[in-house]
Amino acid sequence: MSRPKVRHLIAVAIAFALAATLIACGGDEESGAEGQTTIGFLYVGPRDDFGYNQAAFAGSQAVAEAFPDAEVLQAENVPETAEAERVMENMIDDGATIIFPTSFGHLEPALNVARKYPDVTFLHQGGLDTAENVGTYFGTIWQAQYAAGVAAGMATESNRLGFVGGFPIAQVLLNVNAYELGARSVNPDVTTSIVFTSNWCDPAKQAAATNSLIDQGADVITQHQDCTNTVIETAARRGAKVTGYHFDASRVAPEAWLTGAAWSWGPLYVDAVRTIEAGGFEGSKYDGRYRSGLGEAVQLTPFGGAATPEIRERVEAAAAEIRSGELEPFTGPIRDQGGRVRIPGPQPSVEELEETDYLVEGVTGEIPG
Amino acid sequence: MNALPATGRLTPGALLRPPYARPAAWVFGTLLGLLVVLPALEVSIDQTLIRATPFILTGLAVALPARAGLINVGGEGQLLLGAVGATGVGLALPDTLSPVATLPLLALGGALGGLVWAGIAAGLYVGARTNEVIVTLLLNFVAVSVVAYVVHGPWRDPDSASFPYTADFGAGGTVPLLPGGTAHAGLLVALVAAVGVWLVMGRTRWGFRARVVGGNKEAGRRSGFNVSRTLVIALVAGGALAGLAGAIEVVAVEGRLRPAVAVGFGYIGFLASWLVGHRPLAVVGAGLALAAISVSGDNLQIDAGLPSTTVYILMAVVVMAVLGLRRRAGRQG
Amino acid sequence: MSLVEDVLVGAVRQGSPVLFATHGELVAERSGVVNLGTEGSMLCGALAAFATTVATGSPLLGIAAAAAAGALPALLHAFMVVDRGANQLANGLAIFFLGLGVTAALGSSLVGRQINGLGVAPIPLLSEIPFAGPILFAHDVLTYLALLLAPALWWFLYRTRWGLVLRATGERDEVPFAYGHSPRRVRYLALAAGGALAGIGGAQLALAITLTWVEDLTVGRGFIAVALVIFAAWEPLRAPLGAFIFGGALSLQLQLQARGVGISPFLLETAPYVLTILALVVLSSRAVSRMPRGLSAVFAGAQRA
Repeated sequence: MSRPKVRHLIAVAIAFALAATLIACGGDEESGAEGQTTIGFLYVGPRDDFGYNQAAFAGSQAVAEAFPDAEVLQAENVPETAEAERVMENMIDDGATIIFPTSFGHLEPALNVARKYPDVTFLHQGGLDTAENVGTYFGTIWQAQYAAGVAAGMATESNRLGFVGGFPIAQVLLNVNAYELGARSVNPDVTTSIVFTSNWCDPAKQAAATNSLIDQGADVITQHQDCTNTVIETAARRGAKVTGYHFDASRVAPEAWLTGAAWSWGPLYVDAVRTIEAGGFEGSKYDGRYRSGLGEAVQLTPFGGAATPEIRERVEAAAAEIRSGELEPFTGPIRDQGGRVRIPGPQPSVEELEETDYLVEGVTGEIPG
Repeated sequence: MNALPATGRLTPGALLRPPYARPAAWVFGTLLGLLVVLPALEVSIDQTLIRATPFILTGLAVALPARAGLINVGGEGQLLLGAVGATGVGLALPDTLSPVATLPLLALGGALGGLVWAGIAAGLYVGARTNEVIVTLLLNFVAVSVVAYVVHGPWRDPDSASFPYTADFGAGGTVPLLPGGTAHAGLLVALVAAVGVWLVMGRTRWGFRARVVGGNKEAGRRSGFNVSRTLVIALVAGGALAGLAGAIEVVAVEGRLRPAVAVGFGYIGFLASWLVGHRPLAVVGAGLALAAISVSGDNLQIDAGLPSTTVYILMAVVVMAVLGLRRRAGRQG
Repeated sequence: MSLVEDVLVGAVRQGSPVLFATHGELVAERSGVVNLGTEGSMLCGALAAFATTVATGSPLLGIAAAAAAGALPALLHAFMVVDRGANQLANGLAIFFLGLGVTAALGSSLVGRQINGLGVAPIPLLSEIPFAGPILFAHDVLTYLALLLAPALWWFLYRTRWGLVLRATGERDEVPFAYGHSPRRVRYLALAAGGALAGIGGAQLALAITLTWVEDLTVGRGFIAVALVIFAAWEPLRAPLGAFIFGGALSLQLQLQARGVGISPFLLETAPYVLTILALVVLSSRAVSRMPRGLSAVFAGAQRA
């Protein structure tokens, strides 16, 4: 009877020893050196998802390059739950003084941790609330989606655009609306069909969603998913054109590619870290709700083979007008699907737009819920 | 002791027989291992205790029905429905109620949620002779959709700018903490539950009946036991324990219901119970060990720069090392 | 095309990878071993197929690699269960975690890489048949293979000596033992073959449907396969129906949305699982009687045959 006991102890010991070895081999324990800054980044998905998280990860790499002495801590697949608090506290234990929680759902955990650690500065990506040591930043990516919609509206022959969305949250609805408005600005007959996959990254389902849109006659496809490869591949194979999202994936389908809305976080992250390092966070644009515009953190990707010179010209013109403030896509009257006027007058504030809970007229599909 | 007879036939008795004669071995082994490894990994003790709570409870949700011969793979879904149940109670209760009244009601809501979810599988098992392994497994997937539905739909926080979570029902601050740390007292609930299951199974008439039925249904029937009722009770009681885990996660850890709550915890609890042959007290040790590994995942990626999924590899290796520990089966042919 | 036609095309396309995994799990279970690690085999297959195709440009080599990679975790399961006496369900779950972790770690450098993959290869003449043509005969080659495997497996199980040995092993392994066959070897072979089939299912996801690799590409499809084996009552000829119900439910919700029909994705999400449960309720008395006897120990708890 004692044999299993001994064996058991040995096995448990071996297993734990393995865990310890893993740490010991990979670990660089020299953190916390004098004068060295430690910066933490949290991602909700894998940092190489060819989409949202990879764009943020690329930004963190820019930070690591700009501050060669700084230590950059990474944590991927951090769920949008109290788990994120744990990860942030862990980073603080390792000396982090600046933390970038990069997913919308990391906001509340960040606010909770921030209360406990007033000396740590948190820069949250996409949030609507702030605190003394928590600022939020984002980009008005819907402006780029509007410009991409212009390209789609000109490129479509069927007058039907397809949008593969994840969940019906405000950010997604805002993008769908901007896309349809952009398309309609050049082509009054165009409609956009929205399909929600109720997942941010299930590639096989993305393929089915893309196919269902193309089956219904859509010939230009865009998306709001975390991983973006499959929608582009599937659309291109079926002969549809695409506009991208999150990430410049033009090389995936160079001929089908029109343009795309993409993040360029590097400069913003680097500037924010520099500001905080210099002790200038308080009162800076990062102290509060900062939204970076088209041409800054939000970019149009290079044009692809499907973009004719005419399309390029119109898209660039629209983008230039948005940048100069001349064009405000959500200037009223903007009606919802039911014909009700949602925006009567001038374009609402970014804050209000980020609470969009309706689809504009011309969008086919319903908000489930 | 031999798990497989000479022919290699996988007999029911062998499959359900605990692999270790003494669960104490597990507990001692685990504590010893934790003592050595936790400081080395700089794993937070508080975090380990917080994480162990759902693992232990979902482990017990497997252990209890297993002693009656039912395999509950549905801890994951029962936990989620427990989270839904507790959230429903939390949203319905007035803010003015004292925590003395609120916390038990939240726990009850969670237990009921898990109980109902397990009840579906139990009812179908008794009524339609469906396989409980598969039904409980499938219901896990359905539970994920139920959570998604309530947080995107009817229970979405009206102040959240359409983001999918429920309102904070403000019970988080009222949860007592374990003395000397920041871990919530949910662990005590798990410990009490473990002792409770142990007492019920070993010291009560019902526990005896359940074990007889688990050993051989026909024997149970011949002894005049109501076999169906025993099985239903065993499974829904397991569901209630998992539901309790969901309530604790929502109330003491999250403060509100979010779609990604406690993903995978139920499956890890399943492993915890199998690791110790469904011995209720030993489940505590297994839950603590798996929690330590789970929490070490952060250190693995933050300190060592390893991908976050490394922790799954680690967990699989540990689990298989222990599962494969049984005496070598008789070889054939 | 009509809604019905579109949904059925999607059902076959989305069902096919699951069908491979279902066939694989069916073979394993016929030998008396449940493998919850099927999901892990699918992931290993998907990654191996994608990596090989990136490296060589040949999807066929990719499929071969997927079969080998899918068999590996299944062989580990065989070792643990047959030789080390580990519990099948718990060890299967551990195999799944292992596959998820290993493929995520090994595959990170392959994200965003491009492949040509497997194109659609419509069968001449047959694909021209109205209605049935596009649904059954206008897919990639692996889909045809998945469909053909159903009768092939039936023939193997019921018309060959090896099939008889396999079935006997799952029922009462004293019988093959008495005739000089090693149940241990049969189980190793059955699990390896099952893992290889699941790996090919993963390959189809990577090479034909998504043309991509990301962590957790399969998102639970391997677990569906385990359920579908029961749905099919361990009969290869019934497996396609289950797989196509899964694919059809997935396809239906998306096709309805694309037509502007408001439907809660969360409730439709549950359709494959609820339908399988309902099917179990309808079929279960038969299903239980058809369960390989060696399995009853594992699957039905302590229920004795």
